[in-house]
Amino acid sequence: MIKKTILEEVLAKAMSSGADFAEIYAENTRSNVIHMIDGKIDAITDNTICGVGIRAFLGVRCVSASTTDLSREGLLRCAASVADVIGDKPTQLDIHLTGRIFPDIHPVKIVPDTAKKTTKIDLRKAGYFSAKNYHEDIAQVSANLLDVDHNIMIANSEGLFTTDRQIRTRMTISAVASKNGENQSGYAGPGRRMGLELFDMISPESIGTEAARSAIVNLNAGYCPAGKMTVAIENGFGGVIFHEACGHSLEATSVARNTSQMAGKLGQKIANEKVTAIDDGTIANAWGSMNIDDEGTPSQKKILIENGILKTYMIDKLNGRRMGMEANGSSRRQSFEYDPTSRMTNTYIAAGNDKNEDIISSIEYGLYAKKMGGGSVNPITGAFNFAVSEGYIVRNGKICEPVRAASLIGTGSEILQNIDMVGTDMETGQGMCGSSSGSIPTDVGQPLIRVSEITVGGR
Amino acid sequence: MEKFDSLKKIVREVSEKHGIKEYELYYTEESSISAETYRDEISSFSSSVGGMLLFRCIVDGRIGYASTQSMDEGEMENLVLRAAENAAVIEKDDEGIIYAGAPKEAYGKPAEYDFVMPGAAEIREEAMNCRNIMYAADPMVTDGTECGAYAGQNVIRLYNSNGLDLSSAVGNTGSCMAAVLDNGSEKQMSYDSIYNSLGKDEDKKKELAGKIAKNAKDKFGAGSVETGKYNIVFEDKQMKQILGTFLSAFYAENTQKGLSLLKGKVGEKIAADCITVTDDPFCEGNTMQIAFDGEGVPTRKKNVIENGVLKTLLYNLSTAKKDGVETTGNASRSASEIGTRAFSFYINPGVMTRDELLAKAGEGIFVTEMKGFHAGANAVTGDFSIESAGFMIKDGKIGARVKSFTVAGNFFDLLKQITDVGCELNMGGPGFTQIASPDVLVPGMSVAG
Repeated sequence: MIKKTILEEVLAKAMSSGADFAEIYAENTRSNVIHMIDGKIDAITDNTICGVGIRAFLGVRCVSASTTDLSREGLLRCAASVADVIGDKPTQLDIHLTGRIFPDIHPVKIVPDTAKKTTKIDLRKAGYFSAKNYHEDIAQVSANLLDVDHNIMIANSEGLFTTDRQIRTRMTISAVASKNGENQSGYAGPGRRMGLELFDMISPESIGTEAARSAIVNLNAGYCPAGKMTVAIENGFGGVIFHEACGHSLEATSVARNTSQMAGKLGQKIANEKVTAIDDGTIANAWGSMNIDDEGTPSQKKILIENGILKTYMIDKLNGRRMGMEANGSSRRQSFEYDPTSRMTNTYIAAGNDKNEDIISSIEYGLYAKKMGGGSVNPITGAFNFAVSEGYIVRNGKICEPVRAASLIGTGSEILQNIDMVGTDMETGQGMCGSSSGSIPTDVGQPLIRVSEITVGGR
Repeated sequence: MEKFDSLKKIVREVSEKHGIKEYELYYTEESSISAETYRDEISSFSSSVGGMLLFRCIVDGRIGYASTQSMDEGEMENLVLRAAENAAVIEKDDEGIIYAGAPKEAYGKPAEYDFVMPGAAEIREEAMNCRNIMYAADPMVTDGTECGAYAGQNVIRLYNSNGLDLSSAVGNTGSCMAAVLDNGSEKQMSYDSIYNSLGKDEDKKKELAGKIAKNAKDKFGAGSVETGKYNIVFEDKQMKQILGTFLSAFYAENTQKGLSLLKGKVGEKIAADCITVTDDPFCEGNTMQIAFDGEGVPTRKKNVIENGVLKTLLYNLSTAKKDGVETTGNASRSASEIGTRAFSFYINPGVMTRDELLAKAGEGIFVTEMKGFHAGANAVTGDFSIESAGFMIKDGKIGARVKSFTVAGNFFDLLKQITDVGCELNMGGPGFTQIASPDVLVPGMSVAG
């Protein structure tokens, strides 16, 4: 993207007032979204993001700047604006960059950009109409086909000079079922860090059918009763609770500032011994995977919690300085316009030894949360509230009638202690995670788990 | 931006080469610089320059969009071809329109303001100065207080196949103070900003810091409210939030999609006689005025509601065509569509001072804080139920501090229920979109304590 000699000159400029570290992150990202509603291709977003973010550190101080002017003069101006603020000690440095290639552990077969637009349109329609035609009560379907070709280049004053290409594909379908003036919705949205071969693995028709099926179940469900219950949460997107209520408090972003309830607890028991939780950016072709993080550190598999004991945090360079710990491949940013910070990749509760049938049959009366929806967490208290998007009552060890509008209400520390059975079939679900460094793709995941007691909100 | 002039030539040549007759190239650039303080030092500093080229064209009656941040001349052909390819697969019935253009005199003239993008040192100094003023304003000001300064500049260029060639450049600065006050048993927060006062207006900033500290202290020891019906005086900033939440109901695109209850209401009485709402792209004092909208149509001042009667909705070219009216010049532009936007959208001031409004309310609540509109309001139905705080009104005067109650109602009913509008209109900070209202008095609203 940018000549090596210019990068060296720009890094030296950024450090010309005494910074002890400088970094250039350059990006060229093509993204395509085909949107369909009312049975028609409604809009196409076809965008290229292209720019550079420069950061400099002096101790734990950080100054950043970004620009879309990629000329030598534009980059030098950007670096000068960083140098102007970070320090006041004139310094002359010679920076020598050495190219490094990290192995590509996420091979792509069909690069979406090389496919014909009509191929993508056909995929989009196949998914759309399988949802629309699933049942006569499906009143509306809204659907997106997204593909992203994200190319990054990172150079820093330690001599690192590397690149990565991250291709992602995702299909999302939201179906609305309607009867007697009442609306209920269902959703499915699988994605992977791969090309259009995703749809050889997961057919568009199956995505549409899943969204519509869930909407119809909800349309014919009664309201969920409220109260404290034993709850079994299904694998896949069920892991969103761990992600939101526990994962975020293990990011150095909050740990370094001591605003996390998990700060200072390394080596302590923070969860039931059944719980082992992992953040793994190396899973081949997973939605949240990468070869290197956005500071050029190779991605890693990190055991965050092992048998209930807190083992490590997710750490980026700047917060690593604040905490006196090494960065571990966790630094991420939405684009060059955001400052990177420690974030999750693919975060999940690891498979345990309990059989699924044993988990369900152990529940005398409770809730089986087959699909989870969105929710919110109060970062200070850890209190969370998540919608169950498809749920069933469990009675005498058997899954019975569906119930709608259930929610799970609790706190992160409480649910970690109350996970007392962990199944064997770990699955992941895809999401976009929003935080200070922007919106990034992450996988959540878990096997079927049992929470001995949690408040279920209903009516 | 000289670069735009060379890029538009290339786009014109490439479009002609590929037989594309109707097209538009839109450029938007935002530069900003900002600093924030924490305790007694600068905690973060950032600056950015970001430009984006948005292109759209009509092929066989359908309109396609594409956009890029790359200003590379070699990229232009790709941009044009991508948009053309996208146009070919769009199926929605909306036909695209590239504006035919208007005579020069049809465009208003934005007020000229001297604006020079400040340097890093000025911004850093301003942030620290605000920090010092805020800490000096009250001994209770404590850690957690954050002050900052920013400057921003926006450039827009629009060029189309009908020869339209427009440009706009505006800029502004802001100084912000967000104070946390600790009285030993309780912490409370309040914040405010002052605009285009970089390195000057020291006395105004001191006065503002004093107000911020007083606001935070006023929140200490708040009591609760009993559920019931109350006469409510909404402070200007709260009525502004309500108006902003339901702004989209005035967009014709929403009445056409069945997402606004104002469908078919033009010419009808939808509000009290005392309500006149204006949308003005040339609002006095706003340093971000603009003479053309997202399609290049001249912008103009108009009353949306006049003495309670709905005079017009907000239109772009295609929504206007659907309703068989002229566009109001309210098109917004994004990477993949033309939408609707407002400029300075405000309720016109009435005659009563705040004290007179409180006196007329007699007994009730003066609402000075409302939060959670994204969750507690439905822009389609108009229903809202919002967590609020404020003061009891007793014998027509401000009484005890109260918090944690909800005010519930319906926006379209509220418009009819307002009996009086305050005489002071504060437009707030500069912006391409500003929303504002004076204080208003609404009798008999539902409050849950």
